[in-house]
Amino acid sequence: MSTTVTPDETTRPGAAPGTDSSAGPAAEGGAGTLPVLAVDLVTAPSLLEGLAPLARGLEDAGIGALTLSDGGLHPIHVAAHLAPLTRGIGLLPRTDAIYVEPFHLATQLMSLDHISHGRAGWLLQAETDPSAAEAVGREVLGLEATAREAADVLEAARTIWGTWAPDAVVRDTERGVYVDASRLQYADVEAETFSVRGPAITPRSPQGLLPVLVADTDSAAAGERVRGELADGRVLDLDVSGGARAEELAAKIAAALEQAGAGPSVDAEQVRLVRLVGLDLEADPLGTVRQLADELRSRGLIAPAPAASDASDAASASASVPASGRTLRDLLGLPETPFRLDPSRRADRARLTSEENA
Amino acid sequence: MSTATTPLSDAPLSEEAAALATGPAEHPLHPEHTPTGQLSFGAFFQGVNSSTIWRLPESGDQVAWESFESLVRTAERGKFAAFFLGEGLRLREHRSVPFELDVAGRPDAQTLLAALAGVTEKIGLVATQNTTFNDPVDLARRLQTLDLLSGGRAGWNIVTTDNTWTGENFRRGGYLDHADRYIHAEAFLQVAEQYWAGQKISHDGAHYTVRAQGDLPRSAQGRPVLFQAGASPAGQDFAARTADVIFSPHGSLAAAVEFRRSIVERTVAAGRDAGAVKILPGAEIILAPTEAEADEKVRWVRDHQIGPEQAIALLEQYWGRDLSEFDPEGPLPDVPPEVVESGVTRGAGFQFEKAEQLTRQWREEAAEKGQNILEFAREKSGARRGEFTGSYDDVADRLTEFARLGAIDGLNITPWLIPSGLDDIVDHLIPRLQERGVYPAEYAGSTLRENLGLSRL
Repeated sequence: MSTTVTPDETTRPGAAPGTDSSAGPAAEGGAGTLPVLAVDLVTAPSLLEGLAPLARGLEDAGIGALTLSDGGLHPIHVAAHLAPLTRGIGLLPRTDAIYVEPFHLATQLMSLDHISHGRAGWLLQAETDPSAAEAVGREVLGLEATAREAADVLEAARTIWGTWAPDAVVRDTERGVYVDASRLQYADVEAETFSVRGPAITPRSPQGLLPVLVADTDSAAAGERVRGELADGRVLDLDVSGGARAEELAAKIAAALEQAGAGPSVDAEQVRLVRLVGLDLEADPLGTVRQLADELRSRGLIAPAPAASDASDAASASASVPASGRTLRDLLGLPETPFRLDPSRRADRARLTSEENA
Repeated sequence: MSTATTPLSDAPLSEEAAALATGPAEHPLHPEHTPTGQLSFGAFFQGVNSSTIWRLPESGDQVAWESFESLVRTAERGKFAAFFLGEGLRLREHRSVPFELDVAGRPDAQTLLAALAGVTEKIGLVATQNTTFNDPVDLARRLQTLDLLSGGRAGWNIVTTDNTWTGENFRRGGYLDHADRYIHAEAFLQVAEQYWAGQKISHDGAHYTVRAQGDLPRSAQGRPVLFQAGASPAGQDFAARTADVIFSPHGSLAAAVEFRRSIVERTVAAGRDAGAVKILPGAEIILAPTEAEADEKVRWVRDHQIGPEQAIALLEQYWGRDLSEFDPEGPLPDVPPEVVESGVTRGAGFQFEKAEQLTRQWREEAAEKGQNILEFAREKSGARRGEFTGSYDDVADRLTEFARLGAIDGLNITPWLIPSGLDDIVDHLIPRLQERGVYPAEYAGSTLRENLGLSRL
C-alpha cells in the first residue's frame, strides 16, 4: 500500500511535507469519505471466552472496525490476537499515550499493522488517572502537560513509523547487503519529557503511518492540538448500553452525523469512525448490529463493509490478509502516506561525513 | 510430572558418557539430580544476526506474518514445547551506521506471539523482554495478557541489556550501572510476580517506585514460565534463584555435564529442588542422511551465512577502522587496531580495550591455520560442526545419551533458514528420538509448564 519515493523526489523543492501529492482512494468516488461503523469491545478477561466467534460474527454482520478498550488485558495484544482470526475488519486498540514508553508503543502498533496486513489503527487516549502514573513511578501530569505530552508522543510515533523506506530491505546478493542504511533515517525525537534516537527496530508496516483517531470520550484530555490538528479524524461515540431498536439507533446516528457535518471542516475533526460503545454481549447482539449496519448503509451514512469472512476461509490457515486488499486507511478514506527522507536524519550520515572528510 | 519415572534405555552408555557419570543410572551426575530421560525442544526465531541465511531463494520474508505462522506450525507438528522470539531494542550499528549485511528488523515479540496464540493450540510462546527499558507493571500485564490469551502457554526470556546506547530510545536513557543489572532485574521480577499473584504492589527501590494492584485472574499455568540465558556465575545464580528454564549454550557433552552440576549446586543452595531449573541450551542442528553429507552441509550453511563483506565487517568491529581495502581472500590485516569509542558499548563484540591483544592473536591464529580473512571469519562466526551435526541416526543417538545422562532437558534450536529451517528436524530427527523413547509422542498437556515437565506452581 505504501508509495515508494526516492530520496531525490522527496528533497525536490515544492514537495511540501505533510501533503499528499498522489491522491489516494479518498479522492475516488467519494465512498471513502463516509465513516466506518465500529464496535467497541472492552478487554475484560471474561471477553476471552467466545472472542474469536464474536469478532467474526461482528465482521459478518457488516461492522467495519473493532476498537479495543482497556478492561484489564492489554488492548494491543487482544487486537493482535484477533488479526489472524478475522479478514477485513479494522483493529484499533484504544490505549494511553502518556504513561508509556513511546518507542515500545510505536513498535507494538506497527507490529500490529504487519500482523494484520494493514488493518491497524490507534485510538489515542491521554490518561489522567493518577494510578496510571503511579504504576510506572511517574508524577501525574496536569491537564496542559498531558495535552502537550499526547501531542509529542503522537508525533514521535509517526516519526518512528517513518524511519524505514518501504524498500529498505534490498537483499542485494551482489553487494552482500540485506538492508540499505541510506533508506533508513534516525527518529531524532527530542520532546519535552523524552527522546528517541531510532530508527525503528521494525521495518515499515503496510500502511506506513497508522490512522490515529480520537474518540469523543477522550477528546478533552487529548487536548486541542491532537484533536484539532494532529489526529487523522474524530470518532463519534454512541452509547448503546441501554439497548435500543436498530431504527432508533440509526436515527440517533444520522442526527449526530448531521450535527458533526455542520461543524468546522478540519481534517482532524472529520468523523472517520462511528463507534457503538457499551454493546451488551450477553444479549446476542449480532442481529441488532446487522440491522443497524444495513439501515445506516441504506441511508448512505456509513462506508461499505470490508469483505466479510466466510466460514471456510476463517477455518483455514492464514486468514489475516484483508480479502479486499484494502487497508484501514483506505476504508477510512485517508490518503496513503509516502515515505519522506529527511536528509538531516539519514541513518548513514556518519558514513557520509567520514567520506567527506576523506 | 510422570516423566521422572520414564524408564531409560538399557543400552550401555558410550565410553565418553560413562566416564562423565559419577553415580548410578538414577542419578549419574549429582546425588540429588535424577534425569527425566526426556527432551523438550524450543524453536528460537532470532530475527537478526548472521545465523539466519537471507541470500538463498528459499529464504523467506523475515517480517511477514506468513513466515512466522509457517514456522510455528512446523514446530507444533514436531511437538516443540516452545516457540521463542528474540528482541533487540536498537538496530545494530557498525561504525555508527545501521549494520547492513545481516538480517535486521522484526516485529515486536509479544504482539506477534499474541497473534500466534490464535493459530496454535499447544506450543509455548516465549518472548524475550528486557528488564532495564520496560516498566515492570506494564510488562507483567502484557505477559499475563499473553498467558491468558494462549490458555497458559506464555514464557518470558528475561534479559538485562543495560547500555546507554540502547537507552537512547527510552525515557530513562542509560540509567543503570552494568554491575547492578541483576539486582535491578530481581527487583523488577519481584514486582512482576506480585502483579501475577494479584497482589497490591508498593515498591520503593533504588531504581523506581511503583504503586499498583494486580487485577488479572491467574492463568492456567499460574504465571508465565521464566527463561534465562545468563552464563556468568552471577547469571547462573540469578537463574538458580528465579528461573524455570536456563538456555545458555555449551559446546560438548562434558561442558553440558559440568553446567548441569553447577546449576544443580546453585539451585539446591537457593533452597529449590535439584530439578527445578530445566536446561535447554541454545543449539544449531545440522542434519543430513549421512555424516559426510552433514559435513558438506555445515560448510554450505556457513558459506551462505558469512559473505566476504560480513567477513571484513567482523574484523572491522575489532580493528575499529575501515578495512575495506583488504582482500577477503588475503591474509588478516597487518595494521594495528584503532582504539576509539571505549566506554561506549554498542552491542556484543565491541571490546576495544582488548583490541590490540585480540587482533594480534587472530593474526597468529589465521596464519597458523593458513586461513584467509573469509575462511577465518566463517570459522569464527558461522555455523560449526557442532555436537548436533551429523546423520539423522547419529544425532538421535547422541541426544539420547545427553538425555539418559541428564546433561540437558532439551534444546533451544535456532534454525538457519526461515521458514523451512525446522523441516528436517521435524521430519527426520524427531521420529528417531520418539523411537528411542526420549521425545514425547504427544504434548503432555496444554500449558507450557506441563510441556516442559515443570512441576505445578
